[in-house]
Amino acid sequence: MIELQERTRRISPSRLHEILMSYGCASVVDPFMGLPTHLNYLKRHGIAVHGGDLLEWFVRVGEGIVVNDLTILRDSEVAEIVEMLPGRIYSLDMFKAWEGVFFSEEQCVYLGVWHDNVRNLRSDGQTGLAILGLWRAFCYWLQKTQNPDDMQDIPPSELAWSYIRQTEQWVIANMRRNTVRQTDVLTTIGAQRADALFLSPPARNSFRSADARIWMWEAWWQGNPYFTIEHAYRDSLFGARAADAPAYARALASVLSTAENYPVIVVQTTEQRIGDIEAIVRNARPNVEIIAPHPYETYLVATK
Amino acid sequence: MKLMTLFQDTVGDPRTAAARLAGVLGLYGALGDAACGNPAGFAVRKAATAVSIASVAGVDGVDRDALYYAGLLHAVGALDNAAYRKGERLSERMARIEAWDVPAQGARVCLEIPALPAQTSDYVRWQSECWDGTGYPDQLRWAGIPSAAVILGLADTAVRCADPDEALAAIAFQAGRAFGPDSSRIFTTWFHTYGGEADPVDPPLEHLRADDVSTAALLDTIADRIDTHAGVAGRWRRIARLTEAAAEALALEAEERKALAIAVRTYGAGDIGERADGGETSFDPLARLGIDVRAAHGSAAAALLEGNGALGIAAAILGARGEWFDGTGKPNGLFKAAIPTGAAILAAAIASDALDHKDRIDTAGGTQFDPHVVRAILEAARTHA
Repeated sequence: MIELQERTRRISPSRLHEILMSYGCASVVDPFMGLPTHLNYLKRHGIAVHGGDLLEWFVRVGEGIVVNDLTILRDSEVAEIVEMLPGRIYSLDMFKAWEGVFFSEEQCVYLGVWHDNVRNLRSDGQTGLAILGLWRAFCYWLQKTQNPDDMQDIPPSELAWSYIRQTEQWVIANMRRNTVRQTDVLTTIGAQRADALFLSPPARNSFRSADARIWMWEAWWQGNPYFTIEHAYRDSLFGARAADAPAYARALASVLSTAENYPVIVVQTTEQRIGDIEAIVRNARPNVEIIAPHPYETYLVATK
Repeated sequence: MKLMTLFQDTVGDPRTAAARLAGVLGLYGALGDAACGNPAGFAVRKAATAVSIASVAGVDGVDRDALYYAGLLHAVGALDNAAYRKGERLSERMARIEAWDVPAQGARVCLEIPALPAQTSDYVRWQSECWDGTGYPDQLRWAGIPSAAVILGLADTAVRCADPDEALAAIAFQAGRAFGPDSSRIFTTWFHTYGGEADPVDPPLEHLRADDVSTAALLDTIADRIDTHAGVAGRWRRIARLTEAAAEALALEAEERKALAIAVRTYGAGDIGERADGGETSFDPLARLGIDVRAAHGSAAAALLEGNGALGIAAAILGARGEWFDGTGKPNGLFKAAIPTGAAILAAAIASDALDHKDRIDTAGGTQFDPHVVRAILEAARTHA
């Protein structure tokens, strides 16, 4: 049985928004964006947002809920994603490697069908929304393998339909230009100008213990059930080259020095890791305010 | 009236001060419910249910007290939220999106009340998050949502259901979606232990850091938010100046003045649930046409305060503010001296504030208002003009 992590990083966009407002920031760049629901929140509240990540499916979702201002998936379009379409040839064996290990035969067939159907969507916005909705269905399945008796048996297409249809509510315009890009941290930081840089740097070697629900969905999007996340992070700044503590500190310092033009840098960390990070941030900026509402949520707000 | 005189001196008794603060927080919670259309008593039931579920989940001590107050104040963010603000005209979709901010706005309100346990704010902020990440405002997911906030979500679902069995079915259906499987199991255990009904609980006072000055200041803040929600910012402060001067002129007893001061701060609560434009202000304040509306608003405000240990003394004034001096008012047709003087002063001050030409209130002396009260209000209006 697959192990699902108990602890995931918590980004509270409403809290981040309060911090950005108190510093008068109207635009923000997040080069470690992950699933960009927090950028969607900030966008909804009028802030221009720019995100970056190395995993493609995060970026695709960003195209759906961050960049996209108006395109949604209507009922008929959702129906064409969640079920096999007559006349289309599907690669039904694409995720056979997961059969019996994580999923049933039926679920693996659906994963293949959904993959093909989403890949055939022509709108970036719609593709992002579909990926997000289907990911939630996928997470439901993984959770159900852990709690088979506690969770309802919901037909795959019905589950996927309800989750994709729900994505419509997150599509909204803020009359600003918002972007996402699939690239490493330094490129994202250098590509944009904004009032604030939000950093939620991954813990050291975190790519080795990434949540299955994250890397498996990248594998799904890539159509490769043998995909590993180490692959994606291999040559990145916080990849294997930053495996030891001094190298990790150097990587973070290089991010902060690249960001010297940003008036405000907000670094999110935890009470446990603040000892490692605070000194590096203070070395880069003279003024650092620590906002620590919760042990899992500590913000270092660095200004010039 | 100075802040210190709004409540009786507690002579340094922290429990009395805490009880008084709990009463004011109870009003705040009820106002939140009224603003977003929840039935009366919803917040109290939600708080009691959350505390009861917490006993099964192993949440205790200050966390449990924080959970109670988070339940009580769960909807205070609805006050002045664009989805519920009086006079706002939003599409259904935009109203839904604006309503997502209610928990975060509520969290900010809780942060501004230092007497509350520190965790209260976060529980309010994340009470509507869903296990699968589809909740609001932050779209937290999985174990990223604090368990106490999840309990608040369970309590909310349970209280909204018509009966306990429906709640059990609703929460079981949402296992893995709105609630984690573990949380759903906790609810099932609670259901079988307590039969799906929570007994009423008294507000826990142990972890409230209350004093009467900050409690009075909180009541002022509540009054400000009521007025902002209704689109008439600063109204109660103008009316307070009139009523204080009139009470002085008419030599009201100290207790009556305290009751009047509370009534001035809370009378706007009566129409807080109305989103339509206008309301009472669309009627001439001296016309008989708005008499039913004024009486209904007065009764609604009185109902919110009745039984409230800290604020209940103002209920009689609020309930009688639609009465007319000549006995033709509503809801009880009280005549002359039967109308509490505080209610007469409040009604005349509200009318005077709404008039473009303050002297016009003189025409209602002897019919709608007591002539003595009218003279006192006119004098106060001239002094404060």
